[in-house]
Amino acid sequence: MKERTKNIITVVLTGIIIFGFALWGVLMPDGDISISERRPLKQFPKLSADTVISGDFTADFEEYAADQFPLRDAFRRIKAYAVYYLFRQGDNNDVYLQDGYASKLEYPMNEDSIRRAAQVFKKVYDKYLGESRVYFSLIPDKNAFMAESGGYPAMDYAGFTQLVVQNTPFMQYIPIDHLLELEDYYRTDTHWRQERIVDVAKHLGEAMEVELKGEYAENVLDKPFYGVYCGQAALPLPAEELYYLTNEVLEGCSVYDHETGKHIGVYDLEKANGQDLYEIFLSGSKSLLTIENPACSTGRELIVFRDSFGSSIVPLLIEGYSTVTVVDIRYMSSDMLGRFVDFHGQDVLFLYSTLVLNNSVTLK
Amino acid sequence: MVFSGIPFLYYFLPLTLLLYFAAPRKLKNAVLLIMSLVFYGWGEPKYLIFMVLSILQGYIFGLLIEKHQNTGRSRLYLTASVMLSLGMLCYCKYADFFIANFNAVTGLSLPLLKIALPIGISFYTFQILSYAVDVYRGSAKAQRSFVNLAAYIAMFPQLIAGPIVRYTDIADSLDHREHTAAGCAYGVRRFVLGLGKKVLIANTLGELCSIFRAAEEKSVLFFWLYAVAYTLHVYFDFSGYSDMAIGLGRIFGFRFMENFNYPYISGSITEFWRRWHISLGSWFRDYLYIPLGGNRVPKWRWYLNIFIVWMSTGLWHGAAWNFAIWGLMFAVLLVMEKQWLLKPLERAGFVKHIYVMLIVILSFVVFDAANIADGLHSIAAMFGGGGYPLVSAEALYYLRSYGLVMIIGVIGSTPIMAKTAKAVSEHSTGGRIMSLLEPVFLALMLIVCTAYLVDGSFNPFLYFRF
Repeated sequence: MKERTKNIITVVLTGIIIFGFALWGVLMPDGDISISERRPLKQFPKLSADTVISGDFTADFEEYAADQFPLRDAFRRIKAYAVYYLFRQGDNNDVYLQDGYASKLEYPMNEDSIRRAAQVFKKVYDKYLGESRVYFSLIPDKNAFMAESGGYPAMDYAGFTQLVVQNTPFMQYIPIDHLLELEDYYRTDTHWRQERIVDVAKHLGEAMEVELKGEYAENVLDKPFYGVYCGQAALPLPAEELYYLTNEVLEGCSVYDHETGKHIGVYDLEKANGQDLYEIFLSGSKSLLTIENPACSTGRELIVFRDSFGSSIVPLLIEGYSTVTVVDIRYMSSDMLGRFVDFHGQDVLFLYSTLVLNNSVTLK
Repeated sequence: MVFSGIPFLYYFLPLTLLLYFAAPRKLKNAVLLIMSLVFYGWGEPKYLIFMVLSILQGYIFGLLIEKHQNTGRSRLYLTASVMLSLGMLCYCKYADFFIANFNAVTGLSLPLLKIALPIGISFYTFQILSYAVDVYRGSAKAQRSFVNLAAYIAMFPQLIAGPIVRYTDIADSLDHREHTAAGCAYGVRRFVLGLGKKVLIANTLGELCSIFRAAEEKSVLFFWLYAVAYTLHVYFDFSGYSDMAIGLGRIFGFRFMENFNYPYISGSITEFWRRWHISLGSWFRDYLYIPLGGNRVPKWRWYLNIFIVWMSTGLWHGAAWNFAIWGLMFAVLLVMEKQWLLKPLERAGFVKHIYVMLIVILSFVVFDAANIADGLHSIAAMFGGGGYPLVSAEALYYLRSYGLVMIIGVIGSTPIMAKTAKAVSEHSTGGRIMSLLEPVFLALMLIVCTAYLVDGSFNPFLYFRF
């Protein structure tokens, strides 16, 4: 009797799970995006004789079935709990937690990638920057401050810097790592916190012989900020506050977006309604922006080659320049730059994070 | 299609169960066949033709062999069937291996055929071979129904990664089988446990192996970590699949042979091969080793028989020299054990387990290597060769990160957990608790496995390529 009951419970329980979720999955309307992962969800693949025979349909269906599974986020969370707390693994999908901070393993150092980035910079220098004073600064990613101390594999950041500097003798290196600490980064996101890097901006300004007062009012977004690692870790990490700095100079600036041909603000608060609140800084991923600062009468100009870290620090450099051109050669080819930017001896700052240089295939 | 995927678990399986149990008894095999063809064709529809042709020749020659039993024609038909089966296997699996070696020996540069290996061809070919031989020997009656024979060969639970089910083992069940709650519950239990072994342990350790392969800064510790992880990965991957196959078979009323019996507790390599991939080992024993004369021949011939069987076992796993070397290595060890080592090993206590596991771990390093040189390089590195540092931060991290999974894997590869569960069940109070806990545990495991699959991770079955 005992065995019989156990058998019945076993079959019924597993049956409910398999048939229940199967039915739910079929009846549930398909979703478009995963907010937690910040990506579109796979839609039902095209069904035709060609796609079936080629195997494309089945391959796509595998992704579709996993993407559109009922309670997907809850299941991802269960997996994360199992990985972190049941099996005591150090990371889930390479995302690890240390002292309340989430980060993604970035290891090992990719020397080829670093050299490739240096070659791209050299190409830009040779083509456009002969008359300019060219500076370079390297932004250490969060792992530099938390990986090794937590027992996670970490890159040799000193060696990383040395390799970049060795391969970019045409640029003056401005070290900033001594000004940074873990608290300068968001707990749940890749990026640094704008309100904590005013000293970094000043230091860059000093090195480029520009005086920056660095006096700002702190503003906080009225929406909770969940960084990119919240979705990737799939754990319920606490929300953070996202601050942005303003002053009269910044309020008087105009920003021209060459992609859309429109003027936008230094801070695009519409982006606070989107998936990634960090995009309020210079509207996120933009290939080419020109910022005019009417409050500066020196006539000095700056061109910043940057990645997403640059979005939050460039506003803090504007004060010292009449014009700042912000270029992201991940989104536009450096070969095309001459069509849009008049290079005539401006100050030039290459400002890149170790994350981008270690994965430099995106630099064009 | 893989068992450990959302399409199988939440689309194919419920649909198949519905159709199968709704179908009248005489149509159940047809339902099983149709769904098995869908299962096989799901990933590689173009290779359906290979399987269907193989089944067709097996069916026709089976009838012809039986019709002309005890005549020369019967032997002729058997030869034709075996040649066709092996011919197709050789064409798909070994053609490029032969051409590459021919080119290497002659200095010619004949172009490779570059034929993609149809999934599971090694498994279903061996089933067809055993069917034809059994009919020839008179130990099985030829199957009159094409649907029944095709359902046996193509049956999705065991189609692509075994166990290699003998026709004689399930011939009766093809016509008459019972579907009981107890059988179904047993099947569910085996399936979910197998799924857990595959998804939670094998896939996780497979990730570690992938990390090792991609790592630029290796160390002696990292090589060992990889070797142990891969050894556990292979076991949990393959035995997990076998558990799922046996469980699914049971749900549909079939009893497949066990394929693994805790091989890592073996006290000798001889014992290891009695516990590892049992269906393959017994297949080679019954259809190659014994027909060659087994051990009832002069000594030199016996050695030759062993080397032929183990060379074949190695090459069955893959068309590359490292697989052949892997097989031959076991041949040498088995001969040595039979001649000198078995008795001393019996008295060796725990040392014999260290001996077996060391051999097994090193053998799997060769097994997983891209080529022989790569395998030897890894083994040398494990013992300090190659100038690698003893430890690295990366290796220490991954040891810590995967340590618990590996410990669970080590314990799970012994009968400790099964014995403990059995002991608790036999106790009156423990039995009542187990009655409740076991179904809940299985349900939770299914949920956690689903969570891993939804999150998407490393998932290919290792034995598909064989």
